[in-house]
Amino acid sequence: MSTQTNRSPLTENTVVDVDVHLRIPLDDLAEYCDEPYRSTIKHPTYTAVNRSGWDRYMGGNIQKESLPDADTLYEKVCDGFDIDYPLINAFPVLASVPEDDRAVHMMRAYNDYLLDNYLDEYDEFRGLLSVATQDPEAAAEEIERMSSEEKIEGVYVLNSGAHLPLGHPDFDVMYRAAADHDLHIAFHASAGAPFARDFPIQDNAINRFMTTHVLAHPWAHMLTMTSLLVNGTPEKFPDLNFTFLEAGLSWVPYMLFRLNKEYGMRRREAPLLEKSPEEYIREQFYFASQPMGEPNDPQHLKDIIDIVGTDSLLLATDYPHWDFDHPDALDRHLRQFYPEETREGVLADNAVEAFDLSL
Amino acid sequence: MGEHVVAAASELQEGDRLVAELAGREVAVFRFDGELYAYLNWCAHQGGPVCEGALTGTYEATYDREANEVSLSWNREGEVLMCPWHGWEYDLPSGECLSQRSTRLPSYPVEERNGDVVVTL
Repeated sequence: MSTQTNRSPLTENTVVDVDVHLRIPLDDLAEYCDEPYRSTIKHPTYTAVNRSGWDRYMGGNIQKESLPDADTLYEKVCDGFDIDYPLINAFPVLASVPEDDRAVHMMRAYNDYLLDNYLDEYDEFRGLLSVATQDPEAAAEEIERMSSEEKIEGVYVLNSGAHLPLGHPDFDVMYRAAADHDLHIAFHASAGAPFARDFPIQDNAINRFMTTHVLAHPWAHMLTMTSLLVNGTPEKFPDLNFTFLEAGLSWVPYMLFRLNKEYGMRRREAPLLEKSPEEYIREQFYFASQPMGEPNDPQHLKDIIDIVGTDSLLLATDYPHWDFDHPDALDRHLRQFYPEETREGVLADNAVEAFDLSL
Repeated sequence: MGEHVVAAASELQEGDRLVAELAGREVAVFRFDGELYAYLNWCAHQGGPVCEGALTGTYEATYDREANEVSLSWNREGEVLMCPWHGWEYDLPSGECLSQRSTRLPSYPVEERNGDVVVTL
């Protein structure tokens, strides 16, 4: 990591990073599993994160980093990026596990691993428990099981390749458990195999990683957001917040206004809603900054942030993934365009509100 | 500021590079194709350690409208400096960013003098 001196104005601020990933080796995870799953996952015919063979790391010329233990995470994220509170997820790609019972067993193992090896190691670490979308009842039970863990602050849902669109009423049992325990939802999209589950025809026709990577995250979030609103999920669970990770902000204005328009014309197809989609989104939905859009005119990024609202914006690095954002990518815009109070909200206070964090 | 000896000339052979901290800045010196180049180790994108990245080639393409053909070729092997953080590409001899032509790596005068490699900030 580069160490130019005098470079971080973040040192003086409280900073929460809502998207920090692990990459847990399957052999290590197996130690948290019972038989027959312990043996099964040691001999996979898929990888934990099926990368579908893409040239994701540009022939090995860009870094493939990982955070193999709590000390490394603290050094790279907390010291290296001036993050005070990383919100850590285990990044399991459970949607790619073909047997539902194995996915459910691995879900529990990932959560136990996260607690034992990371969250218990540093006071500053916070975590999201992961759920398998194959089995919403089991997901609800897992939320119950983890709800007494004080370092667990929310629920990580891989919404690429989820087995039904995530507003489907089958998931209400999961959302009800989350709301009962004040554990808010974070949707995280993904390229590669999960994208291929949702969009198989497009995936088959795409032959550059850039194409799939540009589209995978906003497409998944657009599907999830639309499904939640048409099914009335935020009306059913008015105390539950929904955060969208890994697609930045620029997709949000289109959805705010398109959903409003469609709702006006087709209200009877979303009859649970009591107000405009935009109002639900502004009150209960939050959006993580990474990947920051890079307009040629920086003013345009301010325009986007203003439309989405600084109250709805959370800082995220996505470290250690190859497309992570250094926190200064967002903070330099905040320093340039916004008063200090707004900046402090984006760096920490909004995340405290979105996840009801206890810092 | 001022002049800084960063290495003996004999320590920086053809194809070599070094990164030195000079007056609080990380500056990299390359000896490439017989010439010396000194750049700030600071990617214009997000401040990554660009000068520690791979020296690689890149794809270039042209479109022949008459023949309706795209020709794709792998060129400039060893001349393209790629930031290890996110893959931003720079032409090593000019410091020009390949995706943002108006962006260049900040450069410094560098020369060989009395057996030393000297960078002037």
